[in-house]
Amino acid sequence: MKYRSIVLAALGVGVWGCGDSDQPVSIEFAAKVGDQDFVCGQQYDNLGADDTSLTLSDFRFYVSGLELQDSDGSWVAVTLDQTNFQVDDVALLDFEDGCNNESGNAQTNTRITGTVPQGTYDGLRFGMGVPFERNHENPATAPAPLNLSTLQWDWQGGYKFLRIDSGSFSMEDWRLHLGSTGCNGDPVAGGTTECTTPNVVIVDNLGPFDPDNGTIVANFAALVEGALLDVNQPMTPVGCMAGPGDMDCAPLFGNLGLAFGGDPAPGAQSFFTAR
Amino acid sequence: MKAILRGLGLALFVAGCGSDASNTGTPWVWDLPGTIPLPRVPEDNPMTVEKVELGRFLFYDKRLSGNQTQSCASCHRQELAFTDGLALAEGSTGQLTPRSSMSLANAGYQASLTWANEVLVRLERQALVPMFGEEPVELGLANLEDELLRRMRDDERYPEMFAAAFPEEEDPITVDSITKALASFQRQLTSFGSKVDRWVEGDRTALNESEQRGLALFFGGANAAGVEDAFECFHCHGGFLYSQSSDDAFQVFDQKFFMNNGLYNLDEDGSYPPGNEGIFDMSGDPADKGKFKPPSLRNVGVTGPYMHDGSLATLDDVIDHYARGGTRTESGPNAGDGFDNPNKSSFLNGFEITEQEREDLKAFLNALTDDDFLNKPAFSDPFPE
Repeated sequence: MKYRSIVLAALGVGVWGCGDSDQPVSIEFAAKVGDQDFVCGQQYDNLGADDTSLTLSDFRFYVSGLELQDSDGSWVAVTLDQTNFQVDDVALLDFEDGCNNESGNAQTNTRITGTVPQGTYDGLRFGMGVPFERNHENPATAPAPLNLSTLQWDWQGGYKFLRIDSGSFSMEDWRLHLGSTGCNGDPVAGGTTECTTPNVVIVDNLGPFDPDNGTIVANFAALVEGALLDVNQPMTPVGCMAGPGDMDCAPLFGNLGLAFGGDPAPGAQSFFTAR
Repeated sequence: MKAILRGLGLALFVAGCGSDASNTGTPWVWDLPGTIPLPRVPEDNPMTVEKVELGRFLFYDKRLSGNQTQSCASCHRQELAFTDGLALAEGSTGQLTPRSSMSLANAGYQASLTWANEVLVRLERQALVPMFGEEPVELGLANLEDELLRRMRDDERYPEMFAAAFPEEEDPITVDSITKALASFQRQLTSFGSKVDRWVEGDRTALNESEQRGLALFFGGANAAGVEDAFECFHCHGGFLYSQSSDDAFQVFDQKFFMNNGLYNLDEDGSYPPGNEGIFDMSGDPADKGKFKPPSLRNVGVTGPYMHDGSLATLDDVIDHYARGGTRTESGPNAGDGFDNPNKSSFLNGFEITEQEREDLKAFLNALTDDDFLNKPAFSDPFPE
């Protein structure tokens, strides 16, 4: 498996090229709660539809398929540098610093780095999530950043694409863990074959974006807008573990532009904005 | 016994491809009755004596939980066919899981693992769930993988055992190795030594008359009311596992199977208690509400309480449930009549059963207990008290 990853990475470099005509690109990300920066362990007030206060201790998400739009309007894939936070076309954005040592670690990552062909770019799009093949490989042998046990979602056979926690493991807490659901496996083939609800968040509504000076903002207050955070559907996990029967998920999925519980997405995602 | 297996394994290996056995470990030799197929073994985790032995130590080792209070064996006790006798399993931090511990007898033959999961089709991947799962916390190892591996490296026994089990690995003490060893140990937890097995193999003295009558009723015989196949048991609990859901080395079809047996019916959609609705919890398809894997009935006499949530205490309660064609809950948040659950299997329309038939059926079910399996030293805790 290790070797296959290296080969895949090498192929990626080969296919996407690293020639003379490429230019480096570095895309900044920020985690916010309303107007405030996300700080691990800090309390935020007036959240959701019921003005709940939450002390946030985790804020991490995977990004894949990052593309820039050139002046002709064409979309160009960003070839990611291969680092501890980036493998193939998947990157982990990590804003927690280990303030809650039950789930986090000290390292953070707030940007995606890579290369694109020489040119001028004024747009950006990506998916928040892990592509199918990578999502269902064995996490026990996966390379960083796909080897974090707190981002594994083993009972669903994939990863948590987005993890935002308040507190740790008591019923007083609130948490959002989002990943693919509706997956099916095959005992003969030995793995996951398909997922009816991949839950990869499509972020393609950011408007004009300057890769050199712009920042992609993930705003928790926008994510929980309209959600009741202080009440929990009885007998379901606190917050939302992306279960299709957990009605606490419905407004959150709506704000992510995802279908939920048989209802289509109410609109595009509003969690991410560009500035 | 172990020496014999080792000897056989070496002999086979030498006769086989002739490469250096010390480089890959001692191949496992299965000891199965002729009526039973070999289990499927993933190509990337061939069975060896060394892996099984390592897996046995890991299975019984409390250092495999974050707070070192639980091992796999805490919820999977050999004398109970690797169940725990509780309605709901309790994790290392005291959190109750929504499900009852399943038997690990013949774990290597399961088409899918746990009560209701379409994705978990390999023991190696399933092991990650109790180890690292956070909702609910079971062994509580999330974010502690470095600490876990340090505990293994610092042990006086493990470095040598890991090296013997994974001789091709430069650094054999990894999470991947742990899951492979645990899977290898579980794959050889085979249980095909019940009185019913001896009967099936041709020993006409193996079952007494009551057990024989129970067998006939189980497999479609007419009841006293004259109804053919009144009890319908074998439709979901047939095959060599006494579960329609099974897999083996020669199987080419996906035989995962989930069904609704009318245990609950909270509303017109056939809902079960929230958060514990079978494969609906993963698929979101209302038609999947209440659909769970029919568990193997091997050793069923010692694996109570029954059902995914341990809500039926005894075999009599289970027979009452099926005789009625579903359970009615009179009041409370789970009120409703499972008989009317829209997703319920069409086999479950209820039946009449006499006291004698009930005793015969229970006698047959209890004859599925494999006493050797419950007592076999090779499956037991290797750590001295």
